[in-house]
Amino acid sequence: MKFLKYILSLTLFFAAVSCTEVLDRTPQGEFTLDNYFQTEDQAVQSVNAIYSQLREWQVHVFSFIGMTDIVSDDSEKGSFPSDGFFLQEVEDFEFTASNTAPASVWAGYYDGIFRANLAIERIPTVPEMDEELRERLLGEARVLRAYFYFNLVRWFGDVPMILEPFPADFAIPRTGKDAVYAQIIADLEAGASVLPTKSAYPAADLGRVTKGTAEALLAKVELTRGNYQSALDYAQSVISSNEYSLSSSYTSIFSQAGENGPGSIFEVQAAAYEIGGGGTQYNEVQGVRGTPNLGWGFNSPSDDLISAFEPGDPRREATILYVGEVLPDGSDIVIGDDNIVGERFNQKAFVVDHPGGNGNGPGNIRIYRYADLLLIAAEALNELGRSNEALPYLNQVRARARGNNPNILPDVTTTNQEELRTAILRERRVELALEQHRWFDLVRTNRAASIMQALGKPFIEGKHELFPIPQGEVDLSEGALEQNPGY
Amino acid sequence: MRQRILFFLALFTFLCTSVSAQTTVSGIVTGDGDPLIGVSVRANNSSSGAVTDLDGRYELSLPAGSDSLYFTYIGFAPRAEAVNNRSIIDIELSEASELLSEVVVIGYGVQKKDDLTGSVSVVSTEDLVDVPTQSLGQALQGKVSGLQIIPGSGTPGADAIFRIRGVGTLNNADPLFVVDGMILSDISFLNPRDVESVSVLKDASATAIYGARGANGVIIVTTKQGADAGAGRISVSAYTGTQEVVKTIDVANATEYATLINEADINEGRPARYANPEQYGEGTNWQDEIFQTAPIQNIQASFAAGNDVSSFNLSANYFKQEGIIKGSDFERFTARINTTRKVKSWLQLGTNIGLILGSSDNVNSGGILLNAYRADPITAPRDSLGNFGNTAIRGNTGNPLATIEFNNNKSQDYRAVGNAFASASLGEHFTFRTSFGLDFTYAKNRAFTPVFFVSASQQNEENNISVFNAYRRNWLWENTLTYNQSFGKHNVDGLVGVTSQDNFGEFISGGRQRLIGEDPSLFYLNAGDVTTATNSNGTFGGNWGLLSYLGRINYTYDSRYLLTVSGRVDGSSRFGDNNRYGFFPSVGLGWNVSQEEFWNASGAISRLKLRASWGQTGNDRIGDFGYTPLVSSGVNAVFGVDEILLPGATLQTHSNPDLKWETTTQTDFGIELGLLDNRLQLEADAYRKVTSGVLFNAPIPDYIGAGAAVRNIAEVLNRGLDLKLEWREVRGALSYSLGGNLSLVHNEVLKLDGEQNDFFAGGLGIGGQLGTNSRAGFAAGSFWGYEIDGVFQNQEEVDQFATLGTQRPGDLRFKDQNGDGVITPDEDRVVLGSAIPDAILGLNGSVAISGFDLTFDFTGQFGNEIINAKKMSRFGAYNYEVSFLDRWNGEGTSDTEPRVTLAGQNIETLSSRFVEDGSYIRLRNLTVGYTLPKAVTDRLRMQSFRLYLSGTNLWTSTDYSGYNPEIYNGSVFDNGIDRGDIYPIAKTITAGLDIQF
Repeated sequence: MKFLKYILSLTLFFAAVSCTEVLDRTPQGEFTLDNYFQTEDQAVQSVNAIYSQLREWQVHVFSFIGMTDIVSDDSEKGSFPSDGFFLQEVEDFEFTASNTAPASVWAGYYDGIFRANLAIERIPTVPEMDEELRERLLGEARVLRAYFYFNLVRWFGDVPMILEPFPADFAIPRTGKDAVYAQIIADLEAGASVLPTKSAYPAADLGRVTKGTAEALLAKVELTRGNYQSALDYAQSVISSNEYSLSSSYTSIFSQAGENGPGSIFEVQAAAYEIGGGGTQYNEVQGVRGTPNLGWGFNSPSDDLISAFEPGDPRREATILYVGEVLPDGSDIVIGDDNIVGERFNQKAFVVDHPGGNGNGPGNIRIYRYADLLLIAAEALNELGRSNEALPYLNQVRARARGNNPNILPDVTTTNQEELRTAILRERRVELALEQHRWFDLVRTNRAASIMQALGKPFIEGKHELFPIPQGEVDLSEGALEQNPGY
Repeated sequence: MRQRILFFLALFTFLCTSVSAQTTVSGIVTGDGDPLIGVSVRANNSSSGAVTDLDGRYELSLPAGSDSLYFTYIGFAPRAEAVNNRSIIDIELSEASELLSEVVVIGYGVQKKDDLTGSVSVVSTEDLVDVPTQSLGQALQGKVSGLQIIPGSGTPGADAIFRIRGVGTLNNADPLFVVDGMILSDISFLNPRDVESVSVLKDASATAIYGARGANGVIIVTTKQGADAGAGRISVSAYTGTQEVVKTIDVANATEYATLINEADINEGRPARYANPEQYGEGTNWQDEIFQTAPIQNIQASFAAGNDVSSFNLSANYFKQEGIIKGSDFERFTARINTTRKVKSWLQLGTNIGLILGSSDNVNSGGILLNAYRADPITAPRDSLGNFGNTAIRGNTGNPLATIEFNNNKSQDYRAVGNAFASASLGEHFTFRTSFGLDFTYAKNRAFTPVFFVSASQQNEENNISVFNAYRRNWLWENTLTYNQSFGKHNVDGLVGVTSQDNFGEFISGGRQRLIGEDPSLFYLNAGDVTTATNSNGTFGGNWGLLSYLGRINYTYDSRYLLTVSGRVDGSSRFGDNNRYGFFPSVGLGWNVSQEEFWNASGAISRLKLRASWGQTGNDRIGDFGYTPLVSSGVNAVFGVDEILLPGATLQTHSNPDLKWETTTQTDFGIELGLLDNRLQLEADAYRKVTSGVLFNAPIPDYIGAGAAVRNIAEVLNRGLDLKLEWREVRGALSYSLGGNLSLVHNEVLKLDGEQNDFFAGGLGIGGQLGTNSRAGFAAGSFWGYEIDGVFQNQEEVDQFATLGTQRPGDLRFKDQNGDGVITPDEDRVVLGSAIPDAILGLNGSVAISGFDLTFDFTGQFGNEIINAKKMSRFGAYNYEVSFLDRWNGEGTSDTEPRVTLAGQNIETLSSRFVEDGSYIRLRNLTVGYTLPKAVTDRLRMQSFRLYLSGTNLWTSTDYSGYNPEIYNGSVFDNGIDRGDIYPIAKTITAGLDIQF
């Protein structure tokens, strides 16, 4: 009997342990994907996360500037020679597949694509939400995905095209760039068909991509592809929407007051809160390195860019911040760093302060301005042989730049296609200088080799038009990724 | 059997009631037939004692309440003898090498060493106290075959890294720790002087009882109990000493720096920037600036007492260590209370409790070390006005002294670890034990950064404070039933148990800027500007639970044939429902050959035992919710005219619903030999461990987006040999011992999942470049890069040989492995080495004669390599290591060191240029002590008094250029990559004393 008692009490003990619910646990303080995408708010937040990526270092800051401006004839690396040396290699065309810059943007853009793919896959499964909002959010995600792929395909050519968040196989080969472009166009068209126009968005949603953003991107994509009629159609659709106009003052576009101005088609929204961030490092890396200390002094305007401005063009002043010059807000005089020869800075990236730390820049990043679109329309018309129809668009941009000074920047009048092409491209260069368009324009118009070689750069034709696929990615792809020629 | 127990019970009763008349006992103590001089003889329940004279004779008056004698002598097994009303007790002591009948602590029990079928090494307290450290791990280095101890870092208070039998996983390879039955993931809180013994469980027969957590081996620590200490013993010990960095790295001085930078400028097509480099002279040696000679001290007092009914051990310890990097220190107070009490004849209760208060001043040692390594030597630490020198101007680095100065970061850890247990005898053969253990930690951190300006890249515009508070609790409830019975020559003991464990913790933290002042009394959130407040709260230190069922049967026949069968079923919350429970079995066999009748025990081989075991164990250390995709919030975006930051949320890592534990299957063959009357002991184990389904969040391509999920992806082999050899002898007054242990490990990745051939990891800190490739057929985390074939001497050679992109004379010539005329990453990179040593060695010895004692320990490792990644990672005109002075600067000047550049391919591409031999041999510890003669201590009313001088890490022989060849970064893919951020270890010299009353 005693033995039975023992057995009984032991069983109780053992049962008591087994009954402790130690195995039933859930993550605390966070959702899992299984219980997410249940509400409208969660759908919105999943798309906000894509926008968040636009402020990231890898997407629109250091390497991005390196692979758009510094690599081009518009600017030099800046700072002192050894600082950010991998960008010096970019400037000098000495980069290999192990260079940091391509690896950095590659990772950043694909993170953005992942977030877009997740939203696109899951928002349709949200049980109950405003159907119009559902469509809009899907449209936003698709436009942002198209934007990410557009930059990738321009930098790297064929790229792995991934349209779902959880691909079954991670060894994904590169997709031909024609197919990538077809997807970009499909995404942008889908966006253009559902997204509200800029003015139709509530004021609280300012900064989201719009129908105009989608169409304007389509115009640029088609121009890049050489489909001039299509580019023109999209550009004219944006123009005729009357959603956009040129801001009267060129300089003011780049001030904080000029954010989201009448010409703003796509702008990465940044607001530097002391607490919680919200800024970007875009301002910091290009800020004055010296006194007043505003930044690191990267993306230093080149002599070649300075000489590209026509005499008296006020845009030169608005673009370039010289040592000895008074800051745009009048607060101080720029004093150079003795250790750096020929310092100058990108004035368009100037901000008055960085609340909450230098890395927290409040300035929006202007991705797409109306002037860009007008010049695309002009270029498309000229390429289509309708040169005299191109002139008004071109001259609209020049007139704004001219301001009240009748003695500068006269209207272009030539209808010679070749001459007009040169004029339009030069206009693009000076109008959009140091806004990270130059490299894509050079490559798109097949002028990268001749222009870079003329500056003495060891540019190899057939190689340097594309950046190398990051070596780490080739390594991790289990042999699926082939390198670009020459690397 | 029953009769014997009755006899003992009767004896106990008799002893307990035996009366209190004081009697005298005398006798002769011999060892090996010879009289032993100086043997300590002590009566229980009393402080009275005696020492044997020249003839081995003792005499002692037995006080009331004393009924047995304890004989202890160095080199010999201690012996207790019941007085039993005798007045003459002659005793033969056996040499310590015959401690084989000693009882070894194993998982959920103890076993006679002779009866073990598993591979278990034991280290006892006296081997743990020589190295002056707060860390038990550091004290264990070189002591156990098959156990690799890596200092990890020299940060004051840092714990060591344990590796048992190679690296059987690509995951967290820490062994499981068990302290007095409490299962823990670390033993950083333990004071080495509180430790009675450490058992290292190596093979599956020993570890399978720990199931899903046994695959990396198990370390069982038993703390000191009061049981056999008679009426009580007080021990006091203290040491004090100094530490300095073991070595510094040879870098260029100011003149050399300016010369090299000038040359780099010219090589890269810029004008040289320094006129007349000689003007700068030697300049600043930044390493000399950041390091200091730092004091270390320890004081301990303990009191132990006990009798047949109850026992207790009380200890208190204070340890303080300043760091060899200025501004860092660590201080710890520990108290321990271990008690047992027999409350009924069949019921024993007890507790083991450790209380720990630790506090430290933390510095950003990684940043300080890197800046000290990189900063230009031209800039003075401070300018003539006393301001910190601006090292950003020349080299784009921070000033490491300023980093130290503008830092206020203090941590405090309060920890209580302990358990309470009840053990009940159920009849003759069964014992039931229930034990509840708790590990509770409360951790605090407070960091303040003042306003300062050193340079544009090293400044702080607003002062700020951040405060962090966290707790973690881990409870373990274990219930076991043991059974023990003999049937003639058959002996069976069994164990079944059920246990559950639950770990959870939570942190809350906050920060503010613009404090109203910078006095430490204001380092509170409330002193800051409320509009700048931030806060954060979440889980801390793990959110997991385990539910387990375990069992074991030991069977021995006539102490000759041994069989152990054990197993455990573990359910873990870390895995999804599909794979929630795993089963881990093992079987072990043993044969005590020398117990056979045919064996001639007086021959050369006095003892021979053979062992064999097989079993499976698991590893579940992979994070808590790897099976479910977690949504990260706080991925915010700005919208609207009013620029509002709106919440965003997305996945930042992938997950794997099919997660399960990795399974290690281990086979072990062991032989134990005693030679020359057991004076020479040899123990050898050959093992083979195959771990399948190895879990790892292997890097995935960035194009997939988000971080990698943990997957069961690989199979890893470790096979090797653990060898232990020990010679002990006593010749008259001289006793000495010499021991060695050698661990040979072969580590190899057998296969990677599916089609995957390569497994890249180990970021080098240069543009996402990865340094290791765990390719099938090679060691896990093998270094992967180009082999260097020389330096291009001229343009003809550049044209003639394969190049990697555009190369020039003076550049490194990479070896074209496949001879296709071009250097390509896919075809021409090869294995350049591995961080896993082929052999680990420990050598130790001791000599004692007429009060003097000397011990020494050597440790070493051989056949491992190191990537000197700090040399590759250059984002500015950093200073150069002196090896750059041997650069190529014209045809024929060098065929190993390329032309000097600031960065670029010669530096940033991983090649054999940056792979160095990490073998070393080190005099880990040398201690010389003197124990006062008994006559003197008797007069001082002490039992013993010993003074000693100890040196740790006094001498190291290595070819490695960095601080220390032991480079540990936390993962097998990452180890051996020296990024220059590991706090170096110190050379320590201490003087100490141990007193017993």
